[in-house]
Amino acid sequence: MNDLNIPGTQTTPSIVSDHAQGMLAIAGDSYPENSFEFFTATIEWIEGYLAGSDRPLHLELRLIYMNTSSVKAMMDIFDLLEEAHGKGRKVSVDWFYNPRNERVEMLAEEFREDCSFPFNIAARE
Amino acid sequence: MNTIDFFGVRELFTHNNILLCFNGPISRSLIEEIGNALKNYLEAAAVQPSAVMDVFGTYVEMTQNIRHYASLRGYGEADSSATIIVARDSADAYLIQAGNIVEAADGAALLERIALLASLDKAALKAAYKEQLRKPRAEGATTGAGLGLIDMARKATRPLAANLTPLDDGKAFFSLQAVI
Repeated sequence: MNDLNIPGTQTTPSIVSDHAQGMLAIAGDSYPENSFEFFTATIEWIEGYLAGSDRPLHLELRLIYMNTSSVKAMMDIFDLLEEAHGKGRKVSVDWFYNPRNERVEMLAEEFREDCSFPFNIAARE
Repeated sequence: MNTIDFFGVRELFTHNNILLCFNGPISRSLIEEIGNALKNYLEAAAVQPSAVMDVFGTYVEMTQNIRHYASLRGYGEADSSATIIVARDSADAYLIQAGNIVEAADGAALLERIALLASLDKAALKAAYKEQLRKPRAEGATTGAGLGLIDMARKATRPLAANLTPLDDGKAFFSLQAVI
């Protein structure tokens, strides 16, 4: 399975996957015009990983600003995790935010409201 | 403007506390560049990071909405122009304002939607946002699927305000303001 290593740009986050470790890291601002297209490869990687093994999956997020279409794409990602969790798969999320920006914490909290798998939100400089 | 005298323009900008103004065809890279300028300005003015993000986010949603709409309607360059203004008001709030040409019927529907959003409190806006987030994407849609206006209304400290100026050929100029 191919891993993702997408460098960040001004409007898109960096995305790095590690199949061997069961890890996916997304960091940065996300406000492309075509968020759905942008996140397609990531969604496909998660689907492939979940279907291809029964090992745990951990997401490490350092997302900052997200436009609404990125929020929608992220919701799709969390839905995949939620579905896997419902089938007994071990999935988890760590979302780190800069403590000076409470908006990011609020954004993460709103996502967490719809998730029943372990979803940790922590301030980190 | 035939004379080389921009005093009138300067007075207009000063009087309205305009920080940033753009009028013309808006590309993806222009949205990014103007957005950068806005963010840098706010950061230099030591605005709270969360407020910077609210102003910037409102600007992004407004301008991306305009781009998506123009592409949805297949508008050419002249009709896909945007007028974007960021200003301060006397209470030091930020006014994010944008205008664009729309089909008159679409404009009327937008005004109705904005009036509806204006009648909702923050809790109802959050519920509307989550409901919209859960709606399946339209076939082939790559955008936020109607979240932008609700998102602006949630960030704003006052209800969104809008206006429609009729133009020829069944078109209208739609003006939208969000206060942060």
